[in-house]
Amino acid sequence: MKAVRSIGTRLVAFFSSLSLAGVLLCLLALLTFLGTLEQAEFGLYEVQRKYFESLFLLHDAGPVTIPLPGGALVMGLLFVNLLVGGVARLRRGLGTAGVLTAHLGMLIMLVAGFVKYATGVEGHVTLYEGDERNWFQSYTETELAIVELRPNGAPTQEWTVADDELRGAGPGAEVALSGLPFGLEVTHWFENANALPKGPMFDVDVPVVAGLFLQGRPKAAQAERNAAGGYVVVTGPDGIRRTGMLWAFDSAPWTVQVGERTFALDVRRERYPMPFDVRLDDFKKEDHPGTSMPAWFSSDVTVTDRMSGDDVSRPVLISMNEPLREEGLVLYQASWGPSNARPGDPLFSTLAVVRNPADQWPFYSCVVIAAGLLFHFGRKLKLHVRRELAK
Amino acid sequence: MGRLSTLVLTLALLVVAAAPLRAQQPATNPHGAAPHGLLTPAPEFLPAPWSDAATDGLGALPIQEGGRVKPLSTFAGFTLLRLTGRRSVVLDDGTKLGPDAFMMEALVRPEVAASMPLFLVAEGAAIDAIGLDSTIKKRRARWSFSELQPAVPKLFELAHEWSRIEPAERTAVQQQTVRLAEAVHQFLDIGGFLDFGRVDLPVARTGRLAELLGTDTGRVRYSQLAAAGTRIGELYRELAADQDPLAREELRAIDGLLRLAAELGRAANGLALIPPAGTADDAPTWRNPGEVLSAALDGEPVAPYEIEALRGFEALARAMDDGAAIAAVATLDASTRAAARARGEGLKNDLERSYYAAKPLTWSVMAFVLAFVFAAITWLRPRAKLPYRICSVLSWTGLAFLIGAIVVRCIIRGRPPVSTLYETVLFVTATGVLLGLVTELIDRRRIAVSASAALGFVGLFLAGGYEKLDAKDTMPELVAVLDTNFWLATHVTTITIGYAAGMLAALLGSIYVVLRLFRQRSSSPETFKSLTRMVYGTICFGVICSLVGTILGGLWANDSWGRFWGWDPKENGALLICLAMTAILHGRMSGHLKELGICVAAAFGGTVVAFSWWGVNLLGVGLHSYGFTSGVSKALWIYYGLQWTVCALGGVVWLRAKMQARVRREVAAQVAAAKDSPAAA
Repeated sequence: MKAVRSIGTRLVAFFSSLSLAGVLLCLLALLTFLGTLEQAEFGLYEVQRKYFESLFLLHDAGPVTIPLPGGALVMGLLFVNLLVGGVARLRRGLGTAGVLTAHLGMLIMLVAGFVKYATGVEGHVTLYEGDERNWFQSYTETELAIVELRPNGAPTQEWTVADDELRGAGPGAEVALSGLPFGLEVTHWFENANALPKGPMFDVDVPVVAGLFLQGRPKAAQAERNAAGGYVVVTGPDGIRRTGMLWAFDSAPWTVQVGERTFALDVRRERYPMPFDVRLDDFKKEDHPGTSMPAWFSSDVTVTDRMSGDDVSRPVLISMNEPLREEGLVLYQASWGPSNARPGDPLFSTLAVVRNPADQWPFYSCVVIAAGLLFHFGRKLKLHVRRELAK
Repeated sequence: MGRLSTLVLTLALLVVAAAPLRAQQPATNPHGAAPHGLLTPAPEFLPAPWSDAATDGLGALPIQEGGRVKPLSTFAGFTLLRLTGRRSVVLDDGTKLGPDAFMMEALVRPEVAASMPLFLVAEGAAIDAIGLDSTIKKRRARWSFSELQPAVPKLFELAHEWSRIEPAERTAVQQQTVRLAEAVHQFLDIGGFLDFGRVDLPVARTGRLAELLGTDTGRVRYSQLAAAGTRIGELYRELAADQDPLAREELRAIDGLLRLAAELGRAANGLALIPPAGTADDAPTWRNPGEVLSAALDGEPVAPYEIEALRGFEALARAMDDGAAIAAVATLDASTRAAARARGEGLKNDLERSYYAAKPLTWSVMAFVLAFVFAAITWLRPRAKLPYRICSVLSWTGLAFLIGAIVVRCIIRGRPPVSTLYETVLFVTATGVLLGLVTELIDRRRIAVSASAALGFVGLFLAGGYEKLDAKDTMPELVAVLDTNFWLATHVTTITIGYAAGMLAALLGSIYVVLRLFRQRSSSPETFKSLTRMVYGTICFGVICSLVGTILGGLWANDSWGRFWGWDPKENGALLICLAMTAILHGRMSGHLKELGICVAAAFGGTVVAFSWWGVNLLGVGLHSYGFTSGVSKALWIYYGLQWTVCALGGVVWLRAKMQARVRREVAAQVAAAKDSPAAA
């Protein structure tokens, strides 16, 4: 029993130690530094996964490979260290009240970060004036979508498969989707590909569809630029196999007739539903006079609540630094385009959409940390000045 | 550099536009046209300089550039910085021309400006590359347009070719050539601006156009054409619809006239000096003379003061003496400046002119340099009180000038103190100096005041260097996402104070290390202890500002981009500062860092601040890549090198202290052993 207590005490002492805090802070600084430098070559998306969302990683420093703990591990340990050493075991008193408060603020911040990471969803909805949507789409994640097309605007049925499930697909990779009236096989899948015309002077080891074939490419530094694609084989009840080539940057989906029904197969950015509709009524953009530097852009939108059943609509202005917070989602004025539009050309507005339950937690944490540090260091300064003046 | 593709056309236009000028020398100039122009032969003797009344009046005229209305003198100042690398031109006889006088010459007597040593060429090889002999001057010298003129076609040809290479991949010669071509292009733009006012346009003596213009002299001025522009436009459209051969003939003549006028107007498209008719909200974009004529021909509203302004420019272009120039500037003042005021624009222009004329930053840097000299005297004569007092007074004076400059800039732009990279340097310097001086008030050991003086002059020296390097308006309009006074006042100000604290702590830490290198700690333990306390206090202050500033930045990002934290390089830089400072505080608490350790860590922290402040912008990735930073990297690496050297010296001090302690222990042990030995007994 004593031995157990001793191990427990040692563990608590280890996890609450100031030395561990110092080591973890230095490790996090190292990871942040390396992750910043690496962005120039590998882009934010890859770097974020490798350095900040991982448990372990191997950093290539020229000819040497250095094993390092990942950002998730370091921040997790920092959380424990802060909780045990910085809050639970901290000596109570006026001298440590400020530090304790600041540590609590940091804990709120780390929890907010974890909640955002674990449950948050990010994407965007891009609208021309008059367009209306009740979904937003991811910047980076891709999905394979099968949509049944029905005449006269009748509700359609939709099946989707996330690209995580399609990575490494090869001939014979059956996709099982309940209710799909045909067999679906993904024979090839590329996380980034280019569609090229097949010339007579070379052979390719993938099917050629309408004179084109998909050529796999290394993943782009900016994940938004990856154009996933693949080949699918649709086998109808009649046993006929039809091969289609799907590509994220294709302007139109591949439509296939199965019996009397028509289906569109498409590779697109992953879509998430919104509990309300957003219609862009007016997009305003002003440049600083005589320049092409944007001074202001904003979107007049109409938000229609479809969930309540009575379809209540209300106008909302979304502008720079003034987002719309609605039913757990936040919509921001993020961008506009096309960038090469001439005066008078129709413009689209891109609203970033985020679902983040911890949206405002960092603000609370900021107030708590500032209060704690100001109290602590203010008190120390006061004591120091008093001592100096007394000399 | 896309503009370079139009340079050949510009040159051709200049030749066309200036051709009549050669024939219009004063003696044979029956129409009163100006004898000035870029292609006019330079006078053998320099004409009398313009009076201050004329140049001041010109400099006070408003111009819209980069999206904001500012005094022409501000535009002239930054143009000079781009061309000559300083805010003045020094002629061969030693005469110094300020921005206003330079602008007057360049606009009115470009043939005189062409002989001024304007173009700073840092790489003499660029001169050789365009076919001139660089050996006739120093390697880094200023060349005049007249000297460069024979090689201008070659210069533009090479620049056009090399501008296709990414700036980072250009050689020094290529980069210099491209820059020189840009500078020459800009000079040509300014020199050709008033060409529209120098030339009388040919017009038929009879016909409906002559009738409409009310002239039978066969000549018409640009302003007359613009004044009748609306009716000319109507006549043009009427004739265009008429199939009568005589009408077609007249249409052709009008068409030719308007084409020539349009070419002259296009040459004047560089400077938007004329506020348009209407309010600032309805018609925010100012016009150049070409646009005034186009608007009139298209039937758009043109205010009478716009025509009056054109007359003023014509009078200026033809000004032969100072009196005529003053009268022309007065006409322009009464038209453009008055109209701008009526529109509620350029209301702070006088203050802006006073700011640049008063040169508060120059006075500030001089005060800091002198303060540092007296600080050095206090080190040599530690007991003398006078040098210390003078040092303190001068430091506070320098700070007052600096704070005054920052306040005036805030008033001019109606913005918080920091909104550009340049302003971060001013603000960091001011905050660092203030922190140092307050520290000195608490702990009078003459160290913090010395550090303040050093920080003051180095900071302002770097600010001046960056201003020269960038050579763009340091009070520009901001992109939409930055244009929010609330976040500029909170996040940017707080994080910048954090930078200042980090830099001051690094400086104080470095002073500690250097002092320890030459003096034993035991010689004055209280001084070293006190210095460490200063470093610690500054870091405490810095950690509050950095941490709160970083979180505020996250909140801003959350409101504008939809995420609190995105591991963007600039965000990471701010986090690095927080982590470094927090690690130092925890290291101190845990006992791993003592006096020397804290100071060495603070010195290293300076490189973390510098990386966050400037270094991440050099990476060229992320959402915060707002600033122009090429050329900064050299200064940055020098700073990194200095601080790392200090850290290495800290290592030397540590090793030396270890060895000395060991020796002391051994000696003590020997002494003890000797005392205990029977022989001693």
